[in-house]
Amino acid sequence: MELFRALAVFAEPPAPERAKVAAALGLGALPEASEYTGLFVFQLYPYASVYLGAEGMLGGEARDRVAGFWRALSLKTPPAEPDHLSVMLALYAHLAELETNETDDVRRESWRRARVAYLWEHLLSWLPAYLSKLTEIATPFYRHWGETLRDALREEAHAAGAPVQLSLHLREAAGLVDPRAGETAEFLRTLLSPARSGMILVRSDLSRAARTLSLGLRAGERRYVLESLFAQDARGVLGWLASEARGWRERHGSEPAALAGVARAWEAKAAAAAQLLEELKAAADAEAEIISG
Amino acid sequence: MNLKKLNQRVSAARRETEARGETFYPGPSRIHLAAFPPKERWDDWVELDSRAWPERKERRYMLVPTTCFNCESACGLLAYVDRESLQVQKFEGNPEHPGSRGRNCAKGPATLNQITDPDRILYPLKRAGKRGEGKWERVSWDEALDAIAARIRRAIVEERHNEVMYHVGRPGEDGFTERILAAWGVDGHNSHTNVCSSSSRAGYQYWMGLDRPSPDHANAKVIFLISSHLEAGHYFNPHAQRVIEAKADGAKLIVFDTRLSNTATHADYFVSPYPGSEPAIVLSIANYLIEHELYNADYVRRWWNWEEFMAGEYPERVTNFENFQKLLKELYAEYTFEFAARESGVDAKVIEEIARVVATAGTRFSSHNWRSASAGNSGGWQVTRTLFMLNALLGAVATEGGVFPNAWNKFVPKPIYSPPHPPRWNELTWPREYPLAMNELSFLLPHFLKEGRGKVDVYFTRVYNPVWTNPDGFSWVEVLNDESLINCYVALTPTWNETAYFADYILPMGHGSERHDVHSYETHDAQWIGFRQPVLRVARERLGEEITDTREINPGEVWEENEFWLELSWRIDPDGSLGIRQYVESKSKPGERLTVDEYYGYMFENSVPGLPERAAAEGLSPFEFMRRYGSFEVKKKVGAIYQESVPEEELEDARTDHFGRVFTKTPKPPTLNIVPVPSPDGDAEGRRLVGVKVDGETLRGFPTPSGRLEFYSRTLADWGWPEYIIPTYIRSHIHPDNLQDDETVLISTFRLPVQIHTRSANAKWLDEIAHTNSLWIHTSHAARLNVRTGDLVRVETEIGYFVVRAWVTEGIKPGIVACSHHMGRWKLKEGGQRQLMATVSLAHEGDRWGMKRESGVAPYESADADTLRIWWTDVGVHQNLTFPVHPDPISGMHCWHQAVRVTRADAGDAYGDISVDTEKAHEVYLKWIAQTRGADEFSPDRTRRPYWLLRPLKPSREVYRLPDRPELVGVE
Repeated sequence: MELFRALAVFAEPPAPERAKVAAALGLGALPEASEYTGLFVFQLYPYASVYLGAEGMLGGEARDRVAGFWRALSLKTPPAEPDHLSVMLALYAHLAELETNETDDVRRESWRRARVAYLWEHLLSWLPAYLSKLTEIATPFYRHWGETLRDALREEAHAAGAPVQLSLHLREAAGLVDPRAGETAEFLRTLLSPARSGMILVRSDLSRAARTLSLGLRAGERRYVLESLFAQDARGVLGWLASEARGWRERHGSEPAALAGVARAWEAKAAAAAQLLEELKAAADAEAEIISG
Repeated sequence: MNLKKLNQRVSAARRETEARGETFYPGPSRIHLAAFPPKERWDDWVELDSRAWPERKERRYMLVPTTCFNCESACGLLAYVDRESLQVQKFEGNPEHPGSRGRNCAKGPATLNQITDPDRILYPLKRAGKRGEGKWERVSWDEALDAIAARIRRAIVEERHNEVMYHVGRPGEDGFTERILAAWGVDGHNSHTNVCSSSSRAGYQYWMGLDRPSPDHANAKVIFLISSHLEAGHYFNPHAQRVIEAKADGAKLIVFDTRLSNTATHADYFVSPYPGSEPAIVLSIANYLIEHELYNADYVRRWWNWEEFMAGEYPERVTNFENFQKLLKELYAEYTFEFAARESGVDAKVIEEIARVVATAGTRFSSHNWRSASAGNSGGWQVTRTLFMLNALLGAVATEGGVFPNAWNKFVPKPIYSPPHPPRWNELTWPREYPLAMNELSFLLPHFLKEGRGKVDVYFTRVYNPVWTNPDGFSWVEVLNDESLINCYVALTPTWNETAYFADYILPMGHGSERHDVHSYETHDAQWIGFRQPVLRVARERLGEEITDTREINPGEVWEENEFWLELSWRIDPDGSLGIRQYVESKSKPGERLTVDEYYGYMFENSVPGLPERAAAEGLSPFEFMRRYGSFEVKKKVGAIYQESVPEEELEDARTDHFGRVFTKTPKPPTLNIVPVPSPDGDAEGRRLVGVKVDGETLRGFPTPSGRLEFYSRTLADWGWPEYIIPTYIRSHIHPDNLQDDETVLISTFRLPVQIHTRSANAKWLDEIAHTNSLWIHTSHAARLNVRTGDLVRVETEIGYFVVRAWVTEGIKPGIVACSHHMGRWKLKEGGQRQLMATVSLAHEGDRWGMKRESGVAPYESADADTLRIWWTDVGVHQNLTFPVHPDPISGMHCWHQAVRVTRADAGDAYGDISVDTEKAHEVYLKWIAQTRGADEFSPDRTRRPYWLLRPLKPSREVYRLPDRPELVGVE
């Protein structure tokens, strides 16, 4: 599956020696390094753990699960960052090759099963949502790349058939922390954890929120930005977040039928988030009325 | 586009690109920090100039490979030569190098500091005042070469060959200089090995014949290091990256070190034994495997020389394997965990747990020791002998994840000329007291000269600094100051050092990127060669220039040793009458001197299997290929050579003896790999040992006298050491039984991770990281002495004392102290080397020497603006001066650990003070040499040394014969 290996190259910085691969993929001239940085370093970190881990951060159990897949198959030692998109796609290509080159029928079937399990468990469990966001915000080169990857994955999903069971990441993920019952800080943290909120909020989304609500945008990490927005106008921000969550609910709902199982799990998360946010907004509105009344 | 078609298009593009020898997928970068410039762009590589930021200024480079010279690992470097200035901008790793695989330690990139060092020696110098007075005049190379050549010629003509001596530190090449000495007919090779690795080598040699291990760490299940190998050991970079790979794959790492080293912090099992007790622990693990029959009995039956052992030592018992197994149990029963715990101070339960882990390894057990414990203790060679016994018990020998003998993982290509080894024996380096010494007794030279055993007419040092590196440096100063003992001393060195100060000639030699060498090392189960080359010469040749002498491109008149030795030999024998010239004469242009291009061109063309074909595939000659890539992998996965069958055609008129040794009349087939291998004796009828019978098959076996793994050393039995015929535990000279109540042990054999003995002195980046050596002392010990970190302490040895600062730490066994030998560089005058050498004054009266530190280092103005930014002043204390020599009576290794008294410094003591009595030093020497069992008395066959043992220069058998005994006069 050469295509996936070639696509894997572009989740890494666009060094000139990659031009041959870009040409073969029909992606056109290489982008500027700043485009890569803008997309992958500032907005959409290309690591599965960020989107599948309960913490919404790099590493941790979500990364270990990918490493565990390498170990379970007795592949070579997992690399230091097994959940980096490049490595993940290259592994998919590798598994497909092992399957193609296998002469023994029984072993070929077991490679096929491994590949399909990997596809559903580790790629399709997050990439549809990720690529949906990516194609929304990327510059033309990366948008074209993201669409190609999205289409290729959809085709693989279609060919593989629906999984018997939903990915463990998705089955196990809890929802948002309710600030009425717990810490507000925890609530903010879970908002930025896609596996729990059902939505991917990147820096440019937060800038958009500030513009929409006419709030000051403070420079810093996303959680800090979100905190400062809340401090300025909690009700407004809750309303904006609720509408984002509804948007994501629809986005997941519109994924093609082949991805229905995964998309429903994401959709449910976004729906739950939307509901909680709406309730919080309503409560805050009521409180504001009491105060002003 | 349809995705299937897109997939096909990408595959086609990849095939086309790779068919052109180019790279399609450039390899991961963001992921592994390992983005290497693709090789097809090495001629014109563009990077943005970081200093021009924010301007986007492009710099164009030629990337030229070479081999690092800052330790013996021979890792690959890639020099970035700026196409405009034709200077090296930086060094990075060479991704094409099979050993280092593009990864380097700090010392590799720091080569840049060395070549731009403002203090380096740029021109040949000749002494202008008295020896050691520090007065020099610049001379031409011609003048120096003619004077030195004439002196050597005279010595040779007057049959004083043994007065020419070449003393080398780590060679950084494979045999070039030995062959020069052989061409001269001089047995003058003198290595540093007996202050370094002899002890470790001895332990391996008594098992395998070959004296170095090549562990396959990457594939091991259990890794056992008696070293600080992840940060500083031998070949540490190629090995460390493979150890970490294995760990990531789930391997368990066991580390023995009295100090909590950086390596220890990565261990799954770390123990801090009393120094010298390591073999006791290892034997208790062996005993556990034997007692519970957890060892690979079939392997032991097939490969150990147990039959020879039983027949030789237990003739009263029936020789069969069951009886041997019983005997083995009896022999090692005393090494219980409790015994090991008493000797080492390590909890018996911890040792037992480690033993259980070892037992799970099977044939994936890699172990390693090169210095540390073996270099520290008398009888230290039992550290490796017992450690390898674990491999031999598990059958983890030349297996995936096991330990290989080095020679199978190393390739030394046969050169254009192979002069015969000299027909003489130099007793200054190979004295009769030490018939089993692993290497030359180099560090005893001052005592031998003082005793009147001989003199040296021409003494070369190369990458070697005995005054500073060896123990007992003041005895070296004494003989270097005596022109009747050392007539002419020539120091081949790129930078100033303590010994060079006493030289008659100082000849500047190039650093790693300024010279040619071919080098191969046993970094893993493969064979490769690395090509060190003067990178600016290669760069300018790529631009079309013709360069015939490396001095044309090196700074000042810095030369390279290959060309120097060829030219010196040419001048020693200009007319060929001495028979030397024939070995340095061009074959393609008779009458002219051999050039390095022809020397290496011949080697790569004729002696490296697979290289010509590989080069041709890229349209290159073998020489051009090596110039371009800097390395070549001859073979991957060499495997267990000893288990290979001997082919029928090699068994002409073969005979098998009682113990299964197979001898043949077929001459040894020629080989292109001339890696040194021991040469066990043949049979009485002139047949050579070709293999061993194992279960009816004739297999290659090991290069040992028995052809098998030698659990039992007949050699030690025959040469007067019956107590050490099998792996055992020898109590060290610093065993508690040998210490006075107020004495403790000083460990002095560890390195600072980024430094390189004397080679790194003017590498500013490294100096900034590590520039001093404190005395490690445990918190409880420090409390007893009322000492805090930074306080001055006096460390008293057998012959003097040094004053150093304490570093109070929990990271060392209570009661033991430690100080790295990597620091304490000094000079007698301002100037010279200014980044890491203190200026000192010497006081000398009779046998008493004293050293006082006058000043540390300070910022100074030079061509390099960084020298004004030197912020450190302290460069450590030179402790080795206060150590007497401790030659192990068998291996000949200097046993580094010291019995010392540590006290708070006296009121009059100052930091860096050193006091030594060289008369006492000579007494200690006499005490140790009295423990030897010399050839005169113990040789079983009136030879000087067992012929089968390795020796860097190996004279013919007749020369091994001891001179006839003087006739006994006055006896009835």
